[in-house]
Amino acid sequence: MVSERIFGFALLLLSVAGILIGWDLRAPVEYEPVGPRAFPLLLLTLLGVTAVVMIVSRPAPTKWAPPPVLRHVAALFVVMLVYAWLFDKLGFIVATALMTVPVARYFGGTWRQCVLGGIGLGVGQFFLFDKILDVALPTGLWLKPFLG
Amino acid sequence: METFNHLFQGFAVAGTPTNLMIALAGCFLGTVIGLLPGLGPINGVAILLPIAFAMNLPPESALILLCAVYAGCEYGGRISAILINVPGDAGAVMTTMDGFPMARKGLAGPALSISAWSSFVGSMLATIGIVFFAPILSEWAIAFGPAEYFALMVLALSCLGGLVGDSLPKAAVACLLGLLMSCVGIDSNSGVYRFTFDILHLSDGIPFVVIVIGLFAVSELMLMLESHQAGAKPIALTGRMMFNFREWRLQNWATFRSSVVGFFIGVLPGAGATVASAMTYSMERRMAGKDHCFGDGDVRGVAAPEAANNASAYGSLIPMLTLGVPGSGTTAVMIGALTLYNINPGPTLFQDQPLIVWGLIASLFIANIMLLVMNIPMIRLFVKFLDMPNWLLVPLVAAVSLVGVYSVHSTSFDLVFGVLLGGIGYLLRVMNFPISPLILGFVLGDMMEQNLRRALSISNGELSVLFASPISIVLWVGAAAMLIGPRVFRALEERKLRNLGLLAAEDAHVEAG
Repeated sequence: MVSERIFGFALLLLSVAGILIGWDLRAPVEYEPVGPRAFPLLLLTLLGVTAVVMIVSRPAPTKWAPPPVLRHVAALFVVMLVYAWLFDKLGFIVATALMTVPVARYFGGTWRQCVLGGIGLGVGQFFLFDKILDVALPTGLWLKPFLG
Repeated sequence: METFNHLFQGFAVAGTPTNLMIALAGCFLGTVIGLLPGLGPINGVAILLPIAFAMNLPPESALILLCAVYAGCEYGGRISAILINVPGDAGAVMTTMDGFPMARKGLAGPALSISAWSSFVGSMLATIGIVFFAPILSEWAIAFGPAEYFALMVLALSCLGGLVGDSLPKAAVACLLGLLMSCVGIDSNSGVYRFTFDILHLSDGIPFVVIVIGLFAVSELMLMLESHQAGAKPIALTGRMMFNFREWRLQNWATFRSSVVGFFIGVLPGAGATVASAMTYSMERRMAGKDHCFGDGDVRGVAAPEAANNASAYGSLIPMLTLGVPGSGTTAVMIGALTLYNINPGPTLFQDQPLIVWGLIASLFIANIMLLVMNIPMIRLFVKFLDMPNWLLVPLVAAVSLVGVYSVHSTSFDLVFGVLLGGIGYLLRVMNFPISPLILGFVLGDMMEQNLRRALSISNGELSVLFASPISIVLWVGAAAMLIGPRVFRALEERKLRNLGLLAAEDAHVEAG
């Protein structure tokens, strides 16, 4: 109930902000009756109306996972975010190995499985994609001399 | 006759060694993705789409791969439904009703083989249906002008929005968010930058792959963590593997009827495999009369939903191929695949790209035969994949997803953006916002705006042009009916149930008193 309301207000805010930004979207030379701003403004208005409907109506309350699980989910999100950021900086193999350890831990792997799995996934997928399937992956600068 | 000529040309395309290998790989991967609980056709197609693109596969091969994966998922979903009572994808929910009881009775082998057979029949009939109906529909759709197209897309969105999710505002929010995301980037008519906030990466719009991977793959991993528990042990495969003649004869008509019904449900936008399998299951149950053991391991209860969900999955390819307007989340992702290759889906696709379309249709026939072989003699191999532990599966999916995003533009901006969208996707999915209208909105957004503006340019800004032709009026009425209809129907059902419940409670009260 509460989370729906909050989300409804967030959507309302989004639609108002969008309308304020979108109001100035005008083409320098208008040669057609409908310019670039009409469609987004229409959508944003509809979004605002539905957000209000969501706030005033009483939808079924969301069932959130228990707090310890939510903490894990949040941690997984952060790990993925860091993984995405380090993906091309550390290179695929190292980044994947590092990502696998905490993620596999959350899903019940033992430390041994996590470390071996991480190295296996990193190296194995690198060769599968980069060497066999021709999908270029980042090596990270420092690995370059070893992989050719 | 012309159709058969085209089909022969299609077989020439699909029959090249490379494309056969690709179809085989797609069938295999699809079956595995389908049987893993949590991953369904939409995740499978979403994850493999960018990789197919990065491998520089020609468009017809990429489409063959994606369709083989789609078909494979529909076959694979039933394996986990039967053996661990957890549907591998949404279409297989009904298969658990009789599949799991059969497996517990020691009939896991026959349950698997009969469902593979009925999946095969459903798919084959639906593919034949595509051959006959798709060209007719595409010829008819050429008469559509921009106003009709705009109305058609509104219809597609409202069909999906009306049928999925638990509340209309939520489905509407999902549609609108998808449509809004499609507005980001340079407006192609006027060159105005819209909602890019001076970020260079956004000037071309939000990449399709980023949205799809973020909303489907990344958020799925977070949902898997939420539902992660000690996995149920699959029921061991012992005893005979093949169905016998009596079982075969019992399901024959059920499979045939369900295939036909499933196919037509699939053609309608919005209603997909889930609706088709649920509908045919209850239809067969009613038709069986007294002489049945539905819910307790009836062969027909396994065959009917499987035939229907495969047939509807294939049927949903028709609006995608002929109108360019996908009716489901998975076909929306496939449309995205076509646009990555700069192919404009729509009624002219059959004329402009006959080799792609007919190659795809021919490969569906080939993929079906491959899948039948994989799913009856080779079933034991696939059952082994059910033992794959989550601690290995989740990092694997995470890495493959990011590889897909990275392969398109090779920037870490896309990766971080994708993961952020994954977080938003998780929140939306936990709060019961349906995601497939969002992706459909994103795919249709640009086309919708273009058609609207074109229609209004023709009429010089007069709005009445949108309701001018009989076709568009029918489409608008259909859209309104689809938005309101299912909810009114459901509310009536609920009221009926509640009345019954109240009566039952009163009875109990009277008896207790």
